[in-house]
Amino acid sequence: MAPGVERSFTAASTLEEALAARRQGAAVLAGGTWMMRDPRRGGQLPVAVVALHRIPALSKVEINADHVVIGAAVTHAVLVRVLHGVAGFEGLVAAAQGAANPGIRSVATVGGNLCALDFAAADLAPAFLVCEATVELQTFEGPKLLGISDFLEGRHRLLTEAIVTRIHLRRDLIASAHIRLPLRKAGDYPVAIVSLAVDKDKRCRIAVGSVEPVARRWTALEQAMAAGPASALDPERAAELALEHNDFQGRDGKEAEGWYRRQVLSPLVRRGVAALLKTEGLA
Amino acid sequence: MTVTFQLNGEDCRFHGDPMTPLVDILRQERFLTGTKAVCREGFCGACTVHVDDEAMPSCLKPVGLVQGCAVTTIEGLSSGNQALHPLQAAFEADDAVQCGMCFPGMVMSLSAFVRDNPHASRAEIKAAMVGNICRCTGYERIVDAVAVCLDQARKAGQLVEGINV
Ligand SMILES: Cc1cc2nc3c(=O)[nH]c(=O)nc-3n(C[C@H](O)[C@H](O)[C@H](O)COP(=O)(O)OP(=O)(O)OC[C@H]3O[C@@H](n4cnc5c(N)ncnc54)[C@H](O)[C@@H]3O)c2cc1C
Ligand code: FES
Ligand code: FES
Repeated sequence: MAPGVERSFTAASTLEEALAARRQGAAVLAGGTWMMRDPRRGGQLPVAVVALHRIPALSKVEINADHVVIGAAVTHAVLVRVLHGVAGFEGLVAAAQGAANPGIRSVATVGGNLCALDFAAADLAPAFLVCEATVELQTFEGPKLLGISDFLEGRHRLLTEAIVTRIHLRRDLIASAHIRLPLRKAGDYPVAIVSLAVDKDKRCRIAVGSVEPVARRWTALEQAMAAGPASALDPERAAELALEHNDFQGRDGKEAEGWYRRQVLSPLVRRGVAALLKTEGLA
Repeated sequence: MTVTFQLNGEDCRFHGDPMTPLVDILRQERFLTGTKAVCREGFCGACTVHVDDEAMPSCLKPVGLVQGCAVTTIEGLSSGNQALHPLQAAFEADDAVQCGMCFPGMVMSLSAFVRDNPHASRAEIKAAMVGNICRCTGYERIVDAVAVCLDQARKAGQLVEGINV
């Protein structure tokens, strides 16, 4: 920051106040676990920030009979606590519980995880993809709802004039699982992530994170699995199909090269299907 | 900007950049050097403190976010003249500490953990430590000491920081 310039810091207590600060150019500050490392990535901290932690509506999780609404400022730790044991969300809970470390999970928010631009290894992204989540944004023109895939694809552009407020999930899953491959047992970013879910029509949804720059559904594998009988969810068969339908272009990165990220997908699918079969919904 | 918060039970007022990492204020302004700034990226845990009773890294905490909060550092857990926290006593009794660099963070993370998880298994203790890197000990003695601390508290039916174990 230029010498003599005082940083502006707004702790908004309403969404309107936060949006007004955004209009004046303030960047959103959630837990800060991504933003505070900007200087170490060669960037600078924003001259103006607006913090969301004092907006009560953004820190709530609502569990209804047919849907769940997660505030963008809900932390990973709270998400785990609140959704633990809720049938169908095993994968989302595992994603929030396996990310980072306990200290970070107490602070890092759902919104921050999805809005950290250029972060390919976000655990919540593939987990929300298989939930077919809807992302609610508050834009300068008003509220907007977007499918999670469109949000992830377009977030660079979308977030210039918006705040993510809530994530909406239908309760149409009977089981889900989240399998991640870090280099060490824990504590570092996953090399590859496979999230899987089975919906009430017994259709399998699969998403992959950390392999390409942006997480996405693995539709080729979903279609191949749908062609077989729904009762025949089998880890070995799924792994074979994953090998056959691997259409990913692995990204090269510090932790692993692209070919490796791509290569590990088939075994991760095997583990994922095995984990699905152990859930209450399918056991 | 002025930020006010409780630091180890006393009022603390900071005037300056609200995006200053909390660890820098603790060390450079308050001379509470038990909190270490090692990686500054959330990976090593050496800077862990409690904010409103939750353990978190102070290197990634902009001070603006602690307005009105209660911050506890290792110095606030026990002054050294008082009785040690049961976990500190267990580390001392088990001779678990080597160079000591990681220990303030280790104690701050694990004291919150034992308070909230009085029946933790060995695997759960290990999972609670993934954000605290120790370059000396190989971890096993630390895990042993935490297990002993929990065990003793259970046997004595005591409280570990307010939670009846
Ligand atoms: C040591 C360490 C290990 C980690 N390991 C993992 C891991 O294994 N898996 C994983 O998924 N993640 C991991 N992470 C990343 C972590 O999940 C993110 O740093 C965190 O989720 C970001 O959330 P935050 O609330 O701290 O966001 P902030 O740092 O406050 O914000 C991040 C970005 O999102 C924007 N933003 C935040 N909220 C909103 C909103 N509501 N609307 C619009 N924009 C918003 C901010 O402007 C900023 O650009 C790790 C991080 C650390 C420090
Ligand atoms: S210095 Fe904060 S986690 Fe390493
Ligand atoms: S005792 Fe030396 S780093 Fe842990």
